[in-house]
Amino acid sequence: MTTTTAPSTRGKPAVAGQRRRRFKSGTSTLFFLVLPSIVLLLLIHGFPLIQAFIQSLHNGTLVDPGPFVGLQNYIDNLTSATFWKAAGFTVVFTLVGVFGSWAVGLALALLLRTRIPAGGIFKVLLLLPWVVPIVVSSTAINWLVATSSSPIPMLFANLGLAPPLFLADPTWAKILVCVFKVWISFPFMMMMSSAALASVDETVYEAARMDGATSQQQLRWITLPMIARSTYISWILMTIFCVNDFPTIFLVTGGGPIDATNTLVVLAYRTVFQNQQVGPGVSIAFMMTVVLVFISTLLYRQIRKAAI
Amino acid sequence: MAIIHQTAEIGHVAEKQLLTSREKGTRGQWWRFVLILLITIVTLVPVAVVLFLAFTPSVTSTTSGGFTAENFTSVFATTDVVLWLQNSLLVTLGTVIVSVIVAAPAGYVLSRGRSRAVSGYSLLLFVFQSLPVITSVIPLFILFANLGLVDNLLGVTIVYVASAMAVATWMMAAYMDSIPISLEEAAWIDGASLFRGFVQVVLRNSLPGVLSTAIFTFLVAWNDYLVAIVFLRSAVAFTLPLGVQSFFQQNTTDWGSVMAVAVVMMIPPVLIFVLLNKYFSVGGIGGSLAGQ
Repeated sequence: MTTTTAPSTRGKPAVAGQRRRRFKSGTSTLFFLVLPSIVLLLLIHGFPLIQAFIQSLHNGTLVDPGPFVGLQNYIDNLTSATFWKAAGFTVVFTLVGVFGSWAVGLALALLLRTRIPAGGIFKVLLLLPWVVPIVVSSTAINWLVATSSSPIPMLFANLGLAPPLFLADPTWAKILVCVFKVWISFPFMMMMSSAALASVDETVYEAARMDGATSQQQLRWITLPMIARSTYISWILMTIFCVNDFPTIFLVTGGGPIDATNTLVVLAYRTVFQNQQVGPGVSIAFMMTVVLVFISTLLYRQIRKAAI
Repeated sequence: MAIIHQTAEIGHVAEKQLLTSREKGTRGQWWRFVLILLITIVTLVPVAVVLFLAFTPSVTSTTSGGFTAENFTSVFATTDVVLWLQNSLLVTLGTVIVSVIVAAPAGYVLSRGRSRAVSGYSLLLFVFQSLPVITSVIPLFILFANLGLVDNLLGVTIVYVASAMAVATWMMAAYMDSIPISLEEAAWIDGASLFRGFVQVVLRNSLPGVLSTAIFTFLVAWNDYLVAIVFLRSAVAFTLPLGVQSFFQQNTTDWGSVMAVAVVMMIPPVLIFVLLNKYFSVGGIGGSLAGQ
């Protein structure tokens, strides 16, 4: 009630002051508003992180913590060929996943931005790979490629090529999971790109066309720079999604054949839950975490600073 | 005469040019239509495979040719698919409701707050979002075993809420950024507290933001496999992903039945997506992440 007596001629500064005062006096309210989410995050991510570090220094099972072994688990992993093989494939899988899905997603977003009959329907249909559960789509992939008489190997045979054994040949298994990952992820990139493209002012293109810019030039010198920030963010998010991805690989190849499609997450899971070696498995996950947090914090600061 | 003739010719040429460019426009449009149609067809092959096999009579069946719903009737009669569906629905609804309740106020703070503490909170969200689920899942398994939350739907619900938290908060914040702060300021001047301003002004106008957050968390909980396979051990606690997977491993050749279960799992997310397509957006999170 007291505020209504203040002279209204003060206008904007009064409101700004009001705003600051309100937020200052409401600090406890603000804290109360974020408290549930902080408690949950610390309980589900923070506490286990510390716990995971302790476990990685022991050599136990899921029920028994086992003896303290110091950094032995880390040394064992860093000197193991399986670990480096998985680390290598994690990098390949992530690079293909991020840039493959970005290229497809951006191309489709650009295509869908032009006038196309029934464009709206395509927009909806093309998002389905992201909506359909991976458990379901991986079952379909399995039917398509599992044996030499499955449809896709048969297609190769009909084209006069040697039918590949996707689940038995290491190279084909790698290609299969990478393509599957791109298939799952491109709708996300398409949505990110579409949202960014929608914010680009059309008049810029008109000006460029008047100056005689070709469509390739427009893409390279107008579109890409104008959506750059959104692109970086989508790359960072997709990197996190790819490095942490488990079902895409596990449900299609299970990490095989001969560990060819193991990524670090799959390797950590298999070490803990299939080989019952908790310490070594958790130390793999922990190393991954440290690298990922380091990279993502660095990139996060970069985006905040750049603010294009 | 000559002049008239000339202008007529110019007019004719111009008309011709206009025609060809318009023709080219529509031709380009059709060319793009065919291209995108082909891409869409190739993209939807796995989805089509699931549907086709689910409605095709299985090898052991007496009916031959044509489409049939008998895979569904046999799956519903012989497996626990109803139980799995029920578990999945419980877990997913729980995750959606709790996520929105927790993420909406947090998103409000992220959207309106401009202090060091808020930036710190934002960084915390980002770091926790980038943590591999596998790292937290193993210690949590031991903690939850002591609390009796292993093999328990409540246990997985808590984990899902936490794993969806960061993106859910960004999505809420992104929507709330579009609500002008002057609306709350008016409420404050009328004597409303910060909390009342948030609930009665911002939250009441945030239905689209709430819906997109709900859709996102729905997908996280419905589609998850890793958390479920670690925490849910006995068949009575299985959610659909585990049900589909275990059924698939036991019946690798009976594709009709496997795909019928897969269709049951695919329907809810696809239905929600088609009905609420308008609210299905992740584009906004970029802005709130980068903190404009």
